[in-house]
Amino acid sequence: MGSSRPIEISFDGLARVDGSARFGFGDATAALASVSGPIEVRLASELPSQATFDVSVRPLSNVPSTESKSQASSIRSALAPSLILNKNPRTLIQLVVQTLSPTPISGPKWTDGLLGAMINASTLALLNAGSVPMRGAVCAIAVGKAQGGELLVDPEEDRTDELVQGGCFAFMVADGARLGSNSTSVWTNWRTLKGGTFNETEIAEAREAARDAVKRVYAAMKSSFLPGGASDPDEEKMET
Amino acid sequence: MAYAAPIQPTAPTGLSPQENEALQASIFQRLHPRAYLERFLAEGFRPDGRTLEGWRDVSVNTGSISTADGSALVRLGNTTVVCGVKAEIAEPELDAGNRGFLVPNLDLPAMCSPRFKPGPPADDAQVLSDRLNEALIASNILPLESLCIQPNKSVWVLYVDATCINYDGNAFDATLLAMVAALKNTRLPKTTYDELTKRTICSRKAERIPLDIKRTPVSASFGIFDSNRILSDPTAFEEPLLDTTLTVLLDNSTRELISVSQFGLGSASTDALGSCIQAAKKRWGESKDRIQL
Repeated sequence: MGSSRPIEISFDGLARVDGSARFGFGDATAALASVSGPIEVRLASELPSQATFDVSVRPLSNVPSTESKSQASSIRSALAPSLILNKNPRTLIQLVVQTLSPTPISGPKWTDGLLGAMINASTLALLNAGSVPMRGAVCAIAVGKAQGGELLVDPEEDRTDELVQGGCFAFMVADGARLGSNSTSVWTNWRTLKGGTFNETEIAEAREAARDAVKRVYAAMKSSFLPGGASDPDEEKMET
Repeated sequence: MAYAAPIQPTAPTGLSPQENEALQASIFQRLHPRAYLERFLAEGFRPDGRTLEGWRDVSVNTGSISTADGSALVRLGNTTVVCGVKAEIAEPELDAGNRGFLVPNLDLPAMCSPRFKPGPPADDAQVLSDRLNEALIASNILPLESLCIQPNKSVWVLYVDATCINYDGNAFDATLLAMVAALKNTRLPKTTYDELTKRTICSRKAERIPLDIKRTPVSASFGIFDSNRILSDPTAFEEPLLDTTLTVLLDNSTRELISVSQFGLGSASTDALGSCIQAAKKRWGESKDRIQL
């Protein structure tokens, strides 16, 4: 199994929003997320018993296309299970994600690493805002399988050409004494990249490798909030 | 009134007891959709009479649009999707001189369901179009090199446009089937590139050539209700109540997996992905013969 790139987390402190964070796998794959909420909601999108959770994605260049809409929908379905939305009905939680790495214009694109970075940045921004109750932290990582059967966790950009299968996995991780396995799968997307096929054991293998690797991402997230190893009694971040 | 309605204080006159019951049931469905679905699932059935793992009937009709280069009409229960393929000629990209273009698109107009309003494509249509594009790329249905007429000068662009004319849930499966059927039905004219005049000439008389379809992908979609019930092929009534969507893409001839995706929390009790993969293989194993395109 290949080793993943160093994780870079920073809280830029965008001035006009409630929370923001930047997450990167190395410096080649990074995203910036900002969260505002609970704020005023448009009448058309108001929900009577829960908050409306709205996600937008902005690519690095060009106007947002259908791909950005699809990424926003994916991020939304990955993060929605971790948010307790019925505490703030008739409000809006607005998440805007800006990608900081370019995507190739033509040819087959490997965007799973970027999607993982976007999901992680979103989780960090929500935690940074601290205004939305959450069940756990959603952490994501991309996994690929090379021609020879080698499983690469968080493959580097220049190795993505060798991959025959690949995908992104997101897990909701929560600390708790009574939880047997503390990560639950919330988003999976595994497919062949060069027109082959795969079987169930391969995807199960990849998912377990991702589950293992996500622990590292979670640990990095935690340590970015607790400087110097001191324990932080902020209860609203994790609710089990 | 011979029949006393227990729920409503005044029952509508002029209806038979059966009609009255049906009216009350549909009022309950409108006001409390979640409870309505829960009651059915507790008995092991869904509102349309299927079991939890039941599938709706599929019918495919190809070649009905004579002005398109290829076309198909698919009915998945009540969900109806029409797909047409139009071919145009274009210059290829600079760094991919011998590859053509495959541009799939799905339109969900206001006509197919009250939840879609007239105007620019809504989020649902855009997300589905992007997912269909990824599904066609992952399955490698058509090597783009086969769409090349003259390297670096002239290639085919295939616009695969699907329109939903009746939406009853699971547009993804129906549209993928329609797109694949339309591509298999497509016949392109014989073309040559004339170096002298730098023009591409299509022959009107010569017989048209079918596309070089390498693989036929088929898909099976599921939803998870209440974190533990897996419903296959959700209808438009069930879809808003499902927190999670799972889609499995298979190769029609070998039934091997091409892509698996899960959007949302998995099932608390079982391995949702594993059981959905089994169900998908079973589904396309049985009706493989019916979908001969």
